[in-house]
Amino acid sequence: MRIRGDILRTYQSIHTWTGIVAGLVLFIGFYAGSLTMFEEEITQWATPPSHQLAQISVEQLDDLILKASATYEKAQQGFKINFNEHSSPMTWYEQGGGRSLSLDDVMMHASLSEQGELITNAEPANELGNLIDMLHRTAGIAGKLGHEDLGVLVLGIASALYFLALVSGIIFLLPTLVKSFFALRKNKGVNRFWLDSHNLVGIASLPFHLIIAWSVVVFAFHDVFYDGLSLVYADKPMFERSDTPQIEYSIDQLPSISTYLRKVDELTDGYHAQSMAFSGLSSSRPSVGITVINHQEMMRNNTGDFIYMHPYTFDVSFSSIPMNEEQYYVSYVASFFSLHFGGMGGDIGRWVYFVMGLLGAFLFYSGNLLWLEKRRQKQPIQSKSNRFMANLTVGVCLGSMLAVVATLLSSKWLYLINAHINNAYITCYYLVFFAALIYSFFHGAAKSAIYIQKTLFIACLCIPITTLLAIAIPSFGEWTSTNSTNFIVDIVALVFAGIFYFSAFKTKQRAYHGERNSIWAL
Amino acid sequence: MNRLTAEQKIKPHWWLKTFAGAILGFTFSYAIVAIFAWFGSGGIGATAKIQFNMWMISPIWLLVLSFSYLFKTGVKAIIYLLSFNIIAYSVFFFLRWVS
Repeated sequence: MRIRGDILRTYQSIHTWTGIVAGLVLFIGFYAGSLTMFEEEITQWATPPSHQLAQISVEQLDDLILKASATYEKAQQGFKINFNEHSSPMTWYEQGGGRSLSLDDVMMHASLSEQGELITNAEPANELGNLIDMLHRTAGIAGKLGHEDLGVLVLGIASALYFLALVSGIIFLLPTLVKSFFALRKNKGVNRFWLDSHNLVGIASLPFHLIIAWSVVVFAFHDVFYDGLSLVYADKPMFERSDTPQIEYSIDQLPSISTYLRKVDELTDGYHAQSMAFSGLSSSRPSVGITVINHQEMMRNNTGDFIYMHPYTFDVSFSSIPMNEEQYYVSYVASFFSLHFGGMGGDIGRWVYFVMGLLGAFLFYSGNLLWLEKRRQKQPIQSKSNRFMANLTVGVCLGSMLAVVATLLSSKWLYLINAHINNAYITCYYLVFFAALIYSFFHGAAKSAIYIQKTLFIACLCIPITTLLAIAIPSFGEWTSTNSTNFIVDIVALVFAGIFYFSAFKTKQRAYHGERNSIWAL
Repeated sequence: MNRLTAEQKIKPHWWLKTFAGAILGFTFSYAIVAIFAWFGSGGIGATAKIQFNMWMISPIWLLVLSFSYLFKTGVKAIIYLLSFNIIAYSVFFFLRWVS
């Protein structure tokens, strides 16, 4: 396909500059996003199994709620019922709770003993999964702007640039696309290989990338967009508003849990309830949010769909599943969310999204490397701006990954020394991240790329070793009853240890045997 | 293909074109979404349509922005996008007036 040279050059400039400006924060957003596909599993992995109390049958749940709410004032207002076999049947926040992430929440776990007596266990809630999600949404940029996270807005702007980079990338790739799409030319030099793989990954996962760029802009700026739409809607109401009800309810009127399960069967097709979160039970605005799962459907999140209803009257107030034929916009909107969160295809879908996210991160990393190569001069010492960008790329990308791996690794040790767990995670992340960043500016990109990847290899390797130690040595105490699904985290860590070992080896080869007039030569 | 003269080539004009695409593309996307919101399937009150409309703003906006660089000059980008806006909003207000 022929395209005029001036157009190609225009879009090449756009691609280069939007990419280089937005690439680094997007790298963090993408690889952390991959991890959030398994957010709940990671939290489960990090939580000592001894925190969870034994599951009980559905019939016993009503008895449990009755006893817990009679003893604990907080449980009269709200609590969560879990049907997952590895979680406590009932939990609520004794301290904290609510939507925003907070580090000092104390979660109360409750269950019934075999004699039917109430057993409870207050534990600081583990927020590792949430913290990784936070990293995913903000790229680790702290601070607030109004009521929105600064990092979310930064990623929103980066995502708009990323959309431009995608469109411009396609345009200037079109003339050579057909000829060299599947070409991975290894014999034409290293640069060619990087360029070919950058293009292959970019084009092959283009729909995914367009969806992500679009949805992130929406997530970051939905308030602005709604404000604008209020002009369009003029005097029409944008959201249905329910009248303030007058009736005060109290928890002893609460229907039995099996009533809700029957209601879910009635309302949906093939879904089963995963958990139920009750709130405001002794007030005039009670609500229950039921998380439901059906792996055959395109679910809104990878963790499921939800139905919000009035716990006493069963009036559905909001649902991510359409409740009748006319609500087709509900399923359209849910599918947009689903395409971002990987809510389709069950576990296979989640692994596909995990890999796509990592490939996305690779796209930004390789893009930066190509930018550096393009500006390379035939001299042993490269320009100052080139060296700066190389140090920054290595320090931010590899440093951020190392910081997450180190945090995962530290988890069990932090429980051993009884640390303030969630605060310790954050300290660990930023400490390692900035240490790696400073190291890479101090020693240069070539050397730090090798050593940070080697450290990544060792840190990844130590994660399964720590788990085995924790199970083998009784003084670790809390980990002996670890359930087998948790081992997947350790196995994945082991796989990544292998990948980082290999890439550290290749990086080292490039440093000593590669092109001499390069930023990567040692 | 004949070589293009300097006159025929598109000019970079980064700031003007970015301004035109970002601001006028944004208002244009609202015009399209406004027409759809009132006269598209389901009408103004359909369940969850407000959310769908909100989702539709950014792709239209970003596509207009992406292709704004194809205008030959920055001034042309502004003139064309301004006219598109005027047309789209005229259609919207006309339809509102008729209905």
